[in-house]
Amino acid sequence: MFRTEVISFSPARMAQLFPQYSNTIARLAVPALVVSVAAAASAFHTIIFSSYATRTHAPVTQTVPFSHEHHVSGLGIDCRYCHTGVETSSFAGLPATETCMTCHSQVWRDAPVLQPVRDSWATGKPLRWNRVHDLPDYVYFDHSIHVKKGVACMECHGRVDQMPLMATQHTLYMRWCLDCHRSPEKHQGPQADVFVMRDDPGLSRKSALANRGETRGESLPLLEHGIQAIREKGARGTRLEDCSVCHR
Amino acid sequence: MKTPLPSMTRGDEFSEGASTWPSDVSRRRFLEIMAASLALGGAGACTRQPLEEIVPYVRQPEGLTLGRPLYFATAMELGGEGCGLLVRSDAGRPTKIEGNPEHPASLGGTNPQMQAALLTLYDPARSQTPLKAGVPSTWEDLLGALTRESARWALNKGAGLRLLTRRVGSPTLRAQIDQLLAKFPKARWHEHDPAFPRSPMPAELHLERARVIVSLDADIFGASALQPWRALSFARARQSEEEMPRLYVVESMPSLTGTMADHRRALRPADIVQFARQLVGTANGSPATDPWVAALVKDLQANKGRAVVVAGDFQPLAVHLAARAINEGLGNTGQTIVYPSAPAGRTADDLPSLCDAMKAGTVEALLIAGPNPVYDAPADLEFAAALATVPFTLHHGLYRDESARHCTWHLPESHFLEAWSDVTAYDGTPSIVQPLIAPLYPSKSLHELLAALFGDAVSSSYDLIHAAWAKRHAGEGFEPAWRRALHDGTWKSGEIPRAQPGPEPGVSVASSGAVSAVAAGALELIIRPDPFLLDGRFAENAWLQELPKPLTKMTWGNAVHLSPATAQRIGVVHGDLVELHHQNRVTEAPAWIHPGHADDCATIHLGYGRSSAGTVGTALGFDAFALQTSDRPWGGPGLEIRRTGRRHIFAVTQEHQSMEARDTARVEDIGHPAEEKEAPPSREETLYRNVKYTSPSWGMVIDLDSCIGCATCTIACQAENNIPVVGREQVMRGRVMHWIRVDSYADGAGERLRMLHQPVPCMHCENAPCEPVCPVGATVHDHEGLNVMVYNRCVGTRYCSNNCPYKVRRFNFLAFNDLETPQVAMMRNPEVTVRMRGVMEKCTYCVQRIRAVRIEADKESRAIRDGEVIPACAQACPTEAITFGDVLDPQSKVSALRQSPRHYALLAELNTRPRTTYLARRRNPHPDLG
Repeated sequence: MFRTEVISFSPARMAQLFPQYSNTIARLAVPALVVSVAAAASAFHTIIFSSYATRTHAPVTQTVPFSHEHHVSGLGIDCRYCHTGVETSSFAGLPATETCMTCHSQVWRDAPVLQPVRDSWATGKPLRWNRVHDLPDYVYFDHSIHVKKGVACMECHGRVDQMPLMATQHTLYMRWCLDCHRSPEKHQGPQADVFVMRDDPGLSRKSALANRGETRGESLPLLEHGIQAIREKGARGTRLEDCSVCHR
Repeated sequence: MKTPLPSMTRGDEFSEGASTWPSDVSRRRFLEIMAASLALGGAGACTRQPLEEIVPYVRQPEGLTLGRPLYFATAMELGGEGCGLLVRSDAGRPTKIEGNPEHPASLGGTNPQMQAALLTLYDPARSQTPLKAGVPSTWEDLLGALTRESARWALNKGAGLRLLTRRVGSPTLRAQIDQLLAKFPKARWHEHDPAFPRSPMPAELHLERARVIVSLDADIFGASALQPWRALSFARARQSEEEMPRLYVVESMPSLTGTMADHRRALRPADIVQFARQLVGTANGSPATDPWVAALVKDLQANKGRAVVVAGDFQPLAVHLAARAINEGLGNTGQTIVYPSAPAGRTADDLPSLCDAMKAGTVEALLIAGPNPVYDAPADLEFAAALATVPFTLHHGLYRDESARHCTWHLPESHFLEAWSDVTAYDGTPSIVQPLIAPLYPSKSLHELLAALFGDAVSSSYDLIHAAWAKRHAGEGFEPAWRRALHDGTWKSGEIPRAQPGPEPGVSVASSGAVSAVAAGALELIIRPDPFLLDGRFAENAWLQELPKPLTKMTWGNAVHLSPATAQRIGVVHGDLVELHHQNRVTEAPAWIHPGHADDCATIHLGYGRSSAGTVGTALGFDAFALQTSDRPWGGPGLEIRRTGRRHIFAVTQEHQSMEARDTARVEDIGHPAEEKEAPPSREETLYRNVKYTSPSWGMVIDLDSCIGCATCTIACQAENNIPVVGREQVMRGRVMHWIRVDSYADGAGERLRMLHQPVPCMHCENAPCEPVCPVGATVHDHEGLNVMVYNRCVGTRYCSNNCPYKVRRFNFLAFNDLETPQVAMMRNPEVTVRMRGVMEKCTYCVQRIRAVRIEADKESRAIRDGEVIPACAQACPTEAITFGDVLDPQSKVSALRQSPRHYALLAELNTRPRTTYLARRRNPHPDLG
């Protein structure tokens, strides 16, 4: 009798493994799991599209703190004065030291910030700029065709005339490229406006088509032709979406 | 073989356990590893793009827009003759070599050596500094030594001074050598060019006028500066069916010319001499017992003045005299063949006389400029030993090769794309050799070195060439003429007078010496330059090493070639290592059983067995120079072959060369229409999406009738598309990367043997079997009909390659592309992605070129013109065998070719609807021979 009492572990007398409130936790865990997965996904999305990850809006340090704001809106220098290849080549081009020195042998001759430019000119060693708009090596972008098709500089580069230091405005991710390649007409404008920096939507593409009488430039028929072709074939599945357009 | 054979079972590609899964793994361990892989893979993929720099010019050169290539005309010298080239320059770096359509030797075509010259320029193993006794030195030190030497030569009129060069094709260099020998009259000039020996009777061929061509072991389409011109002349002549030339070839070792023959006979060298004499006899009226010879002579006599008999450069004088006798007799001379008189000017002495002088101790200073005699001199000369007796030795060359190591001084030579020079073509047209880049290393051109001997150490190669042409140019306006010549690539106004037809030879066929008869059972040795490496000068060029050799498709090595019957007689099988005994000299070589090779003789190729070629070409194959003697440099009777009992594995890219009665590469006999082949059942019903393409819709037609199998397309594609080499071991594993291969087929036997070439790039099938099996959509069609390969999507399953019936897809099993060496990075085409490990790749129809043309056309709001897009293979092809264009444009050239009755698709029965299609080869047999 005594012995039985000592060694018996009847289930009826065993303490409960889980307390009562475990049920509540289990019920709460189901929505919590859903929420945390969503939060993780959203955090992931936030991170990869954050300006930290994409380096958008983050000015890149340069040897010479060149201000596009000063040179473009302050002095009114055309993009093509320095980026000479933009209409003819895949690469828009960066100015040779000689281009800088056309002015800076006369103005700001002793400015300390321009010392690297003067050194480059004196020693023949090129300036080294850090790339701001950098596509992966397997992407082949051509400036000249975009310019010719009426895609304005600011469509991709933003309001360069308001940037004291150059920074990217877009992620340059493939889906950003495809946004335009799938519906180019939204981003094309008259040839005459390609190098213009203005936020005024009145001058941009849609009204350009509406006010075609006032529009300068011979590229409008070409533009209309392109849009017409896209309308006929439908925006999707056009040649602009072929892999081989950008990858080779 | 001196080196141990690489083993096929070497397991160092992957670390232990990486490719094979241990069998006793627990489920828990498996999950751990998978989770860790996923985490590492995910984390590893999250790298941010590294920051890059843009480095603009300080002063941007005029006319240069970064991102747009420029083309410059220049020329390459091969065997003392020039071929005009156009070289693409991307941001100041030469990146691709093309033929110059305005140059008479190129006509737009190139050959493998010209294409591969680019790799030599950027080869990191090139000599990079002057050396004195193997220790780095400077040009100034060498100059000091040369000044002391030349002061001595000035006193003794150059007694004891010797200059050794290859064949010289530069008029300015000839003038400089003349000047040197005028200043030091007792000095001597020697010439040594084992790949391009002087023919006993030089002749200029005009194949475009010939209707009957007889080759007596003349490899008309073999590697030389004339290859593109000769091949194109022949291909163009074949275009018309009525006027189609008939080619008879008598040769020992199957050559490119032999594969193009309508009638081919394999004879050993001794019998070729007999054959040539028999031919003269029959042509003179004695009855022919052999129907083959009778038909040939009948053909020759029916085409008087429009036939030509060509004797090979390696053939003895007797064969040349016989060929000339027939040509003179039929009035071919002056029409299809011109025998020029001996060129005016000084002729060089040969190599044996130099060795004699060295052994006699009369040579005090030797300048070796170009050749590599320590390696490439006949073995009996014992050049290295003789060289050791010379007090002052200077080697000038691209590499620190065997000869450089035996000379006191070594001076790096500037590559022809780095220094100015000039060269004349076969017809005397001069070209300026224009550099595209400043010398990468402190190197000098031979012009600069010779000028320094005259005390002018400051003039650059530009100054020397410019001054020489200013002197040569009579009359006003030199600068415009100079600029014109640089632009065009030829000097039109200042042609050097061509060689005039020479008198008939003083010796007759009969008196040309009896040819010793060789007993029927005895073996004869044949020594020839390698088809790609020539005498070994290109041994360090990995593109040429890995280029599958014509017919054998062997890479990274050489062999002793034997006919099947002879091999059976002496008990040798394919791949046996054998000992070759010839004139008391021995070397060991692997045996290659070669259908179409003449019986009772064996061919070996030069260019291998190098001991200091560099990092690529050293210790590959065996050295055929070890069996070469100066009295019989191209072989002779008295060869003995002994088995060693050991075996050799060749690195080949095509193991089986029979079509097994299928018609992969089709042939039609003219006058014997092929029996109506049953057309493959037309299958309109298919599971593939039926796409209606709009113009342009690209396609390619390859004319097998024009293709001579030279493999220029393969190497041009390699240069254009940044295709890596994989090395001998990887070739043996079947991992060669060429996007366009040249398949060869050899069916039949004896005089019925048919050897065919078939270039095979990606077919760009409309019903592409590779596409539906790709799990990630990395290979898809675009709207212009291209089967595109998207590298950044590819995960490397290799399903596509598995499903490709043409086997044209190539996989980066390892990191084949060298991403470290700066010179190699400079060489690359910036318009083509450099592929990483684990990525599939294949022919893209040169999509970068299509894109460039498309962008230009779009900018001008016009359609792409026919012929505007030229893929690299088509551009390089010397015979215009590859045509590319819009198959939906009825006016395009490619559409016209697709209408030809010779047009067919490879493996059409699979209903893949390939966009790359073929035109069947034609044979033009003599009616009497069938």
